[in-house]
Amino acid sequence: MKKLIILILIIGFGHTIYGQNYNDFDTDSTKTEAFKPSKSQFMIRGYGHTGLNSVTSDGETESSYVGSAFAPIFLFKHSDRLLFEAELEFVLEGNELEVGLEYANVMYVLNKNMTVRAGKFLLPFGTFMERLHPAWINRLPTKPLGFGHDGIAPSSGIGVELRGAFDLGGPKLNYSVYSTNGPRIKDGSVEPEEAGMLQFQNYEDNNNSKAFGGRIGLLPFADSSTEIGFSTYSTNKVGATDSQYENVGAFLYAFDFAFVKQFSGFGVIDIKGQYNNSKVDDATYTELDEFGNPEEYTFNNESNSFYTQLSYRPTTSESDFMKKLEFVGRYSNYNAPADAEWSGESEQYAFGLNYWLTWRSVIKVAYQTTDSVGGHDGGGTANGFFVHWAIGF
Amino acid sequence: MKTIHKILIKGATLIAVVAIVVSCSSTKDTYVNATDVEEFKMEKSGAQMWGEACNRCHLAPSPADYNDTDWETIGLHMRIRANLTEKEITKIEAFLKSAN
Ligand code: HEC
Repeated sequence: MKKLIILILIIGFGHTIYGQNYNDFDTDSTKTEAFKPSKSQFMIRGYGHTGLNSVTSDGETESSYVGSAFAPIFLFKHSDRLLFEAELEFVLEGNELEVGLEYANVMYVLNKNMTVRAGKFLLPFGTFMERLHPAWINRLPTKPLGFGHDGIAPSSGIGVELRGAFDLGGPKLNYSVYSTNGPRIKDGSVEPEEAGMLQFQNYEDNNNSKAFGGRIGLLPFADSSTEIGFSTYSTNKVGATDSQYENVGAFLYAFDFAFVKQFSGFGVIDIKGQYNNSKVDDATYTELDEFGNPEEYTFNNESNSFYTQLSYRPTTSESDFMKKLEFVGRYSNYNAPADAEWSGESEQYAFGLNYWLTWRSVIKVAYQTTDSVGGHDGGGTANGFFVHWAIGF
Repeated sequence: MKTIHKILIKGATLIAVVAIVVSCSSTKDTYVNATDVEEFKMEKSGAQMWGEACNRCHLAPSPADYNDTDWETIGLHMRIRANLTEKEITKIEAFLKSAN
């Protein structure tokens, strides 16, 4: 009986001790800082651009106000490790409003060297698409040859990725490895002149073989001025399951280079470059000869493109106006497979003068000349004059 | 092509494994080491790192452009997008928050 009383007493008192601990509202409410920022944060960001394009080719000039592209970006920080990012893109295509989902992914920082991402993300195949293409970052109003519509470099994918960086005590190393839904091959049944081209934007994969890729970047100097990178992207199958092209594989690689440095008494020098190469396994395609009879052909399906850009900002100039100016020059080329229906070679020079209103708002004036042989529009020379205004917010 | 693809997948797996091993086996070294060598090598300030790292892709924003809360979101966003090291982003974020 005594024991029982002691037990009841212990439980009884013990309970009040617990109870108080759990209901100690007083200390809670007096000690907290009422306006401590919340750990979850939501930001709407984005960018837009607009301008005037005037392009002359074969003696004909086409001039129009373009752009009015608007790309809102949603950033939702859930905790110090968890972030969600999504970008929508609104553009006018021939009077129709087109809405695109540039990316939408969740990212979780696993530890100091590793972050995992899943969803639709910009691919670190080289650096242009992932880091430099937004209008307020790109120093010229146009993309270099090899990127964009008829580009050979994949720009985004749906899948998972592991990325991160290592501090090597001065030099830095960064990496990314990913797997995404693979590309599809255009077999020519819809557009015979595009047979053999790869198409990267796939919401659903057309076979069970995924694409694998990655990039390694090295910043050899402690001042982070220089980065060299190597990327690959490969897949075993680009054709639909059970189709003739099922087992056609593809292998792409890219080298990228960046150098950005402020020289005292001179200004900022910024050099960027990327080389892309794409090789698709040989396959047999069908075309119609002049009498309308089907004819089989094959070709070495290898293409490449390259660009390099140099820009200079006289940031140390005495004049406030000069400080905000930037001079840019860019060279790019693109070589399609010689024996494809879409064979062609082009070469482009672009020169620009930019005026930076703020760090993310710029007025760009540029002149660009493109020489091509073959290709979609039969080749020739196209000269363009552009005045654009880009703004990030 | 098949062999290249296989080599690549193995290479990617290897990178992932090395990353896991290295990051799990060295949980507390960087900061300790950084202060250890400070007497011999001047440790970079957050301000200097901001000037170097944040200018690599776009023009670097000024600390006054955003408040502390926004810098935390942007810091995490840039850390991942630009593949910055933890040390870089910690120091830069501290500088941006102290100077806005
Ligand atoms: C490797 C390239 C790269 C580096 C280095 C870089 N940024 Fe960015 N930054 C970007 C890109 C790309 C975007 C645009 C993101 C988008 O629109 O998808 C961006 C956007 C931003 C924005 C707009 C808000 C946002 O989060 O999108 C801010 C602010 C910013 N960066 C600040 C910084 C700061 C501060 C640093 C230095 C720690 C930095 N950036 C370093 C590439 C970079």
